[in-house]
Formats: sequence, C-alpha cells, structure tokens
Amino acid sequence: MGLANSLDAYLILAGVLFAIGTFGFLARRNAISMLMSIELMLNAVNLAIVAFGSFIPGLKADGSIIALMVIAVAAAEATVGLAIIIAIYRNRKTPLVDEYDAMRR
Amino acid sequence: MRGWLNLLGAAIAGAVVTTPALLVFVLGGGSVDDALFVALGTLMLVSALLVVTMRDIIRCGLAMIVAFLALAGIYVVVGAPLVAAAQVIVYIGAISVLILFAIMLTQSKAGPARLVFHAQAAPAAVAAVILAVLITLGVSATDWAAVAERTRLATAELARILFQDYVLPFEVVGVLLLAAVIGGVFIAKREEDPG
Repeated sequence: MGLANSLDAYLILAGVLFAIGTFGFLARRNAISMLMSIELMLNAVNLAIVAFGSFIPGLKADGSIIALMVIAVAAAEATVGLAIIIAIYRNRKTPLVDEYDAMRR
Repeated sequence: MRGWLNLLGAAIAGAVVTTPALLVFVLGGGSVDDALFVALGTLMLVSALLVVTMRDIIRCGLAMIVAFLALAGIYVVVGAPLVAAAQVIVYIGAISVLILFAIMLTQSKAGPARLVFHAQAAPAAVAAVILAVLITLGVSATDWAAVAERTRLATAELARILFQDYVLPFEVVGVLLLAAVIGGVFIAKREEDPG
C-alpha cells in the first residue's frame, strides 16, 4: 500500500484535520474553543507544508523552515488572541462569543 | 465502579486507534511506517474530533495536547524530526499551557455553558464535510510531481540553510515574537483606574 510514502495520504489527512478545525471554529460558542480550532487548522496547514517539503525534490529544507516560521507565528497569534479574550472576559464576564453584542445594539 | 468504566473507555479508545493500524500492517505487507502513519493519523483525527465536540472545555484542551503529540509523531514519520521537536516544545510546552491557563481564568462558576454549540452547528458540520470531500478530491485529482520516496532531512543541513539563506526571516520572526509578547502583556494587564 505504501501509505507513509504517498504525498496524497498526508495531504488528505491535513485536509480532514483542517475541516475539523473549520467545524469547531464555526460551531463552538466559547471563544477559547474557537481559538483551539484555529490552532488545529494551523497545524493542518503545517502538516501539508512539511509533507510537500519532504516529497517535492525542489524544496528540500524550505518546507521544514517555513513550518518552523509558521509555528513561531502561531505562538505569537495564540499570545495576542488569548490576551484579547482575557481582556474581553474582564469586561463582559463571559467567554461566550454570542454574548459579545456591544457593536450590534 | 467508575475506575473500571474509565479503564473500559481507555481500552475501547486504544482499540479504535490500533485496529486500523494493525489491519494496514497485516494487509499492507508488514510496513511499520504505514502502521505508524495510520495509528498516529487515527489518533490525531479522533482527538481533534473530541476537541471540537466535547462538552467540558478543559477536556477539550487536554485532547488538543494529544492531537499535537500525534501530529509530532507524524512529522517524524514524514521525515522532519526538527519540526517534530519544535512541535512538542512550542505547542505542547507553551501554547497548550497558555490555553489551559486561559481556560482556568475564564470559566466562571456561575455558568459553565449549557449550550456548547451555536444554532448554526448543523450547517457548519455540513460545510466542514463538504470542505473535506473537496480537498480530498482536489488532492487525488492533482499530479504533484512528487517523488515516490520521502526524503529524510538532516538537521545539520537544515540549520545551515536556516542561518544562511533564511537568516533575515529568522530575525524578523524574533522581533515579531517580542512584539507579540509585549502586546499580549499590555492587552491583558489589569487597568488600575478605568477611564
């Protein structure tokens, strides 16, 4: 079968993980759950990048380096995102996003 | 009684993860890499599903750690051990702890949310399934000009390229992290006098 040696298998795995993250982002009410779903989607993209870097001969180390950059930027995103959520929680006393309606009223 | 139930649940979860891998191992001619790939992929997808569906958000955070760990294993299988190490250090070591602390800070005793999902959960599920099918079809239909054997990347070579060709992006990422940390502290800081 050679699943571990086919690029398609890794890309499909990454695609399914991305779809799961999309569902979580659209369906969860808790802001931190949405942030966790974003992390899942970032990880799926990272898996696709690493798989490309490992299977396409033209970009040998580039895939891994881009993946490392993405991990660093994801860390920055998580820091700022959680700080924003905590700041909003301090004002509104709830982590549920559908109760953040200050701009709708 | 509860301990036995937990044990039973763990056994069922282990069976769910290992059965496809054993099937692939037996049917696919005994390739250990294939079995590892299937086991880690199943573990990752199952725990990712638990992350987006479970009710208790702290358990979602713990399932997310399992998903990250399985993904690190997949990085090792695909041949990028340094990325796997970075995954373990950054995601499991830093981001997961950050998220768990944020969960503990924002769960009020008054109301752990009775409703986990929005009303739009069912359309979101349909959209996610359609997205997965589309990606699968697109991936299968495309010829990627990929080699048939994955290349294992030596860490020494990666370090040379990172610090020669990519040294400017490396430094920029450092500055970005510093700015993000300062900004995060500034945003989350408690303001002494409002207004």
